[in-house]
Amino acid sequence: MVAPMTPYQRAIASVMNEPVDELCSSPLALGLARRLMPQTVTYKEWATTPELAAQSFVRAYEVWKLPFTVCLVDLSVTASNFGAHVRMDKENTPFVDEHIIHTAEDYEKIAECPTEITEGRTGALLEMNRLLAPRIKDKSFHAAFLEGPLLTLTQAGGAEQVMMDMFVEPDAVHKALERTTKFCCEAVTWLGDNHAAQAMCWDYLWGNYSCLDDGQYGEFEGDKYAKATNEATRKAGLGCGVHNCADLPHLDTQINKFGSAFYSMAYYPLIPGSPTASETIDKGYADNCLLFGNIDPQMFIRNSKEEITNATKDLCQEVKTALCKRGLNSRYVISSGCEVPPDLETKLENVQAVMDATHQYGAF
Amino acid sequence: MKIAQIAGFLGSGKTTALMKIVDGLVKSGKKIAIVVNDVGDISVDAKFIEAHGLKAKEISGGCICCQIAGTFAETLAKIYETFNPDIVIVEPSGVAIPWGLKRAAEYSEAKSDVHIEHAPVITLVDGSRIEVLIKAVKRLVETQIREADICFVNKIDAATPEQIKMAEDAIRDFNATAEIKHMSALTGEGIDYAVDAIINRTSPRYDKAREEILLKKEYEGA
Repeated sequence: MVAPMTPYQRAIASVMNEPVDELCSSPLALGLARRLMPQTVTYKEWATTPELAAQSFVRAYEVWKLPFTVCLVDLSVTASNFGAHVRMDKENTPFVDEHIIHTAEDYEKIAECPTEITEGRTGALLEMNRLLAPRIKDKSFHAAFLEGPLLTLTQAGGAEQVMMDMFVEPDAVHKALERTTKFCCEAVTWLGDNHAAQAMCWDYLWGNYSCLDDGQYGEFEGDKYAKATNEATRKAGLGCGVHNCADLPHLDTQINKFGSAFYSMAYYPLIPGSPTASETIDKGYADNCLLFGNIDPQMFIRNSKEEITNATKDLCQEVKTALCKRGLNSRYVISSGCEVPPDLETKLENVQAVMDATHQYGAF
Repeated sequence: MKIAQIAGFLGSGKTTALMKIVDGLVKSGKKIAIVVNDVGDISVDAKFIEAHGLKAKEISGGCICCQIAGTFAETLAKIYETFNPDIVIVEPSGVAIPWGLKRAAEYSEAKSDVHIEHAPVITLVDGSRIEVLIKAVKRLVETQIREADICFVNKIDAATPEQIKMAEDAIRDFNATAEIKHMSALTGEGIDYAVDAIINRTSPRYDKAREEILLKKEYEGA
């Protein structure tokens, strides 16, 4: 029996696989946090104003007592620095609506792009983390979030185009990846230099067997580019983690080979082979890495408080059994597998329901 | 409101086939809207939309479970409220997962009083360049075939018999239960079949299928 812990104590203990009073619970409620602000904040204002986003993350900690604050804004941040046009609706997640790659020559636009990390949307994201860090220090474990080199390129250039070009124009793709990797490394170095986060959560979305096999993923991200960004993360003094909400993630590469400290993943019950929480733990992926997962994000919108409570209860029992069987203490965080939809229709009480249910059913 | 996905990798002839299919649906008296899930080169011809009095919307890529799901659901809810079509044709990006799109479509029910049903998921496989596709983007092609109800070997007018057989074998390898048909937007072969399937047949909803598989797992686990 472990004495009651603060959320931060529980977070650190879980990273270290030490005994905890209860499982950590930390749904990825990010854009949703704007709705906790006392004044009305639109998604567009939230995504473009570092001070507002930082304030909302503090508010999320105060309301939900989240042990982890993972600062995802959207997946078009770095791509916009490379010239992709981002559509910003008042209440929708911003997204790229104009890709910049149509021919092999277009990869030069990325390879030669003079963008700086302190400019544009990436600059705003870094600044938001810098503002946030001292405000949640020793309260919530703070991980910055950024698209990795290949996701930056596919968001800027269009995933279909880039994936076809991996085969027909590989040199052009590699040249662009060199540039996006350099950009990502500079961003994480800035975070370390400015004490603007405790960890970096890279979105390496394309490590997915539905899209790329081991050889392709290794060549176009895993072996060289992610290796560089992971090394830069550690050199910056930050914990190195990965978010990958794919249906069939490359766990051996992204957890074991990358040596990830934490890994956030989803579960797709209808996709054969999509790994459940217990399977992931049973296969040893939590032995040296803190796993986050895997309540269906859409439950936060579509399901009742009772239903999401039951889903959390089931997940807690599954995880506790699997951890015990594996001889582990605490290396699993009850989370949402992907961002809790930041919509106006998302039920705020369902985030609290997950926290409450973990408190009740995740206790040791 | 029925959602009809017409999937296929970049260059598989989706847009051309889609326009022929929409033409057939309109002639059958159906009110149609189109959602293009990836803008840019593959956008549907605006003049075509105008000529047919259709409603078209564009959304773009991201992660379907979270980032894009809200946008897609919002788009469908607005189409329903402002246009109320019988069928929404969705031309997804070649990296979208059909189950993910079904789930996101059903999520529009939380945003309006629409009820979603799904037409059979149609995947087009470019018969004329099957070798390149299998070499270059095998995993993506496999995913789209794996989740299809009907696979059309497309561009059969430009493919050799060997290529058509290779495409059929690949489809069968990846999805033993999918129907396999031929299509040519040039000759019109396969278009009527697709139109009829979209109008008269359905494919399972995500939420029901998920519930069934979770119950099955729970039962088996117990």
